[in-house]
Amino acid sequence: MSTSDSPEYDAVIVGAGIAGALVAYKLAEKGKKVLILESGPAVPADRSGYMETFFTANAKTPESPYPPTTQNPNAATDNNPLGLPDPSTENTPRYTVLQIGAWRQPQQCYFTYTPQDANVSPDSPSAKFAFASSYERIGGGTTWHWLGTTLRLFPNDFELKTLYNVGVDWPSGANGNTFYQNLVPYYEKATHEIGVAGDKDQMVQLYKQFNVSPNGEYGVNYNFPMPGIVNSTVDFAFSNSITSLTVDGNPVYVTSTPQGRNSLPGERRQCAGNTNCIPICPIQAKYDATVTLAKAMQTGNVEIRYKTVACNIQVNDQTHDICGIDYLQYTEQTGIATGKGVATGKIYVLAAHAIETPKLLLMSNQSKSFPNGVANSSDQVGRNLMDHIMYLAWGLAKDPVYAYRGPLSTAGVESVRDGDFRKQRSAYRIEIGNEGWQWAANDPFTTLADFVFGQNTSQLNGDSKNQQGQPLRFNPSLPANSQLFGKQLVETLNGVYIRQLRLGYLIEQLPDPENRVQLSDTEKDHLGLPRPKLTYRIQEDYVRNAFVSAKKVSTEIFNAMGAIEYTQEAAAPVLNGSPSEVTSTNFQYKGTNFKFYGAGHIVGTYRMGDDKKTSVLNSRQQSWDHSNLYMVGSGVFPTIATGNPTLTIAALTLQAADNMLKDLANA
Amino acid sequence: MNTTMENFVGLSAVLTGFSQEIIAPTLDPVDIKSEYLKKFQDEILKESKDSHLVSQILEQFSTLKNAGKSDQEIGEAMLSDQNTQDFVMACRKLIFMWYSGAWPTISNDGLSTSSELLSSKSYVSGLAWQVMQAHPMGDSKYRYGYWETAPAPLSDYTGH
Repeated sequence: MSTSDSPEYDAVIVGAGIAGALVAYKLAEKGKKVLILESGPAVPADRSGYMETFFTANAKTPESPYPPTTQNPNAATDNNPLGLPDPSTENTPRYTVLQIGAWRQPQQCYFTYTPQDANVSPDSPSAKFAFASSYERIGGGTTWHWLGTTLRLFPNDFELKTLYNVGVDWPSGANGNTFYQNLVPYYEKATHEIGVAGDKDQMVQLYKQFNVSPNGEYGVNYNFPMPGIVNSTVDFAFSNSITSLTVDGNPVYVTSTPQGRNSLPGERRQCAGNTNCIPICPIQAKYDATVTLAKAMQTGNVEIRYKTVACNIQVNDQTHDICGIDYLQYTEQTGIATGKGVATGKIYVLAAHAIETPKLLLMSNQSKSFPNGVANSSDQVGRNLMDHIMYLAWGLAKDPVYAYRGPLSTAGVESVRDGDFRKQRSAYRIEIGNEGWQWAANDPFTTLADFVFGQNTSQLNGDSKNQQGQPLRFNPSLPANSQLFGKQLVETLNGVYIRQLRLGYLIEQLPDPENRVQLSDTEKDHLGLPRPKLTYRIQEDYVRNAFVSAKKVSTEIFNAMGAIEYTQEAAAPVLNGSPSEVTSTNFQYKGTNFKFYGAGHIVGTYRMGDDKKTSVLNSRQQSWDHSNLYMVGSGVFPTIATGNPTLTIAALTLQAADNMLKDLANA
Repeated sequence: MNTTMENFVGLSAVLTGFSQEIIAPTLDPVDIKSEYLKKFQDEILKESKDSHLVSQILEQFSTLKNAGKSDQEIGEAMLSDQNTQDFVMACRKLIFMWYSGAWPTISNDGLSTSSELLSSKSYVSGLAWQVMQAHPMGDSKYRYGYWETAPAPLSDYTGH
């Protein structure tokens, strides 16, 4: 292979997740020849191997089913109690939830982090934290472990600066809701590619409330491909009792969530409620990118090279066009590199998600014209890293709600996502969990251990009081630290589990140029490629105010339901100290200790914009610096907005694919 | 005189509060009980260094059962302070294993528990999923929409 004038392919794509797969499919469908470079292993013929790994994993984190392994109890030491693998021994290491607690230990954590300032106070806006979300490096990408939520963003989400004077607008944001209107047809197409089940009437109700279009129209001739997924008994417990509440002037009501899973039998199986969308749907009732990847391959126009890690982007210093992507290949995860080459195409598409894409751009620093990395004349590559930082609240309902049944989430409160309050604090949506306290407190195992061994980690079996001063012992007629067996154990555990409630607030983090992905100066993976170095803060009171709001609203919701709140105040942050003592995502604000959780929404590190000085891409998702280079995925988002990102990723990718086809036609 | 396995299953049923027909029916192709008995014997020997403790526990159960004691009386006697700490802790760990499919380790301060799964079979066999009237996460035996209505009564899951 060479970097001659006749490239081998029409398009070379880096990454076989949802964005890369959609581009490949849409280009190949029109007869274009496409090559995909995927760093991880191939999509397995069936998912039984991933399921077996999941079943036997002690910590069932989002990444637990997938290679490389996330934990090895046999390798546990005092300093590494979880047996986390050393990322320097792996060819495609990635950040995992188990690594969050080891964020200051590069022998256990793939990311490295810039140092904490000395003497930083627990409530300092400049305090640095661990990033709280993870991703996959395998064929099919992170959609293997996505939840499946497919909400559109609101038009106002695209105009945060114009309407509320915070953050930034999306391209052409100051021109009314142009960006949104242009995206609507692609949103509609995206629901067909993903296979979304949704209740249009509920979307119309929401759109009327926010005056999205005066008649609440959600698409004149549009409906979701499948009827909405039915609500859970947990959802009904909320929807029946919280409608008297308001939040900052907005009414509170429950909306069924549009979801990328089958409510009817079709190409995929009908959802059987495995309550396991994250980490893995055992029957693929939930969409993942292997669906689109298979369609792309069936065109006969797509070649995919697995275990192929893009490591440098070549630039023609005269034209500034991209002229090739260098890659390394391996056979075994911890083995030596077994091949290398250069992939050439007319156009190049980066779809390696919002950590690996900027890493690749920054690594590609051999061009004289772009010494700070490809596509980085703006110095924006890797900056504005965002997530929906989550506030979790949990409680016990008065009557049984029967948690742990159905998809992980089937409804939420969308009615509080927009309003004038966005001048003062971040917006959020509230997700209703069907998984009891599994996420919040590692149940059913925590409550089980408490009532078998007389412990009180769950606060159900002692003298704990909640933050409102209410006693929390589940059965006041039992002594504290009861150790139960037989009938009494059955009745107690049953009584607890079937009443468990969980709320999650997806808080809109603002773009902050100092929150960024750089290259580690010292740490490398097993192929010798630099690992990411992160800086991650929550500097703005605007964002921290949303935690105060979420805490207050949770208590109001639980009170309205007659439920008892069990949300524990987080431990006080420890920002300096030995690596095993420092906290990872705890912060203090207005005298309260909070802990934030990741939503798995990694956003913003190669954003679009109207100005080449402050953005990496134009609104066509094309590099300002290199006209034959495109980037897709959530890294293009200028703000993280108020909805889960995947539907918007898909819609924007379909829009970008149309741009690519136009450019290829004109080439 | 009952066999070791009969006593093990009998004791397990009493301590967990599930019927023997649910956790180890006569025709039992799942046969999680064999995996648990071996794990119980191995771990209790390792932890107590007492090669007689498991058989002592099972014999005491057998004696109580043969004396016609009720499940409640048997459970209370097995977990009584009259027995050694190792004896009682072994019985409690047995409960935890049946519910979780994992072997527990109590922290040095006694305030928390970590655990290690035995196998994929033990994970899906965990009684915790049954006592909550649900299913192992990732192993639903139900059909679309079951989550819209209340589950079958608890007695259907426990056999009592």
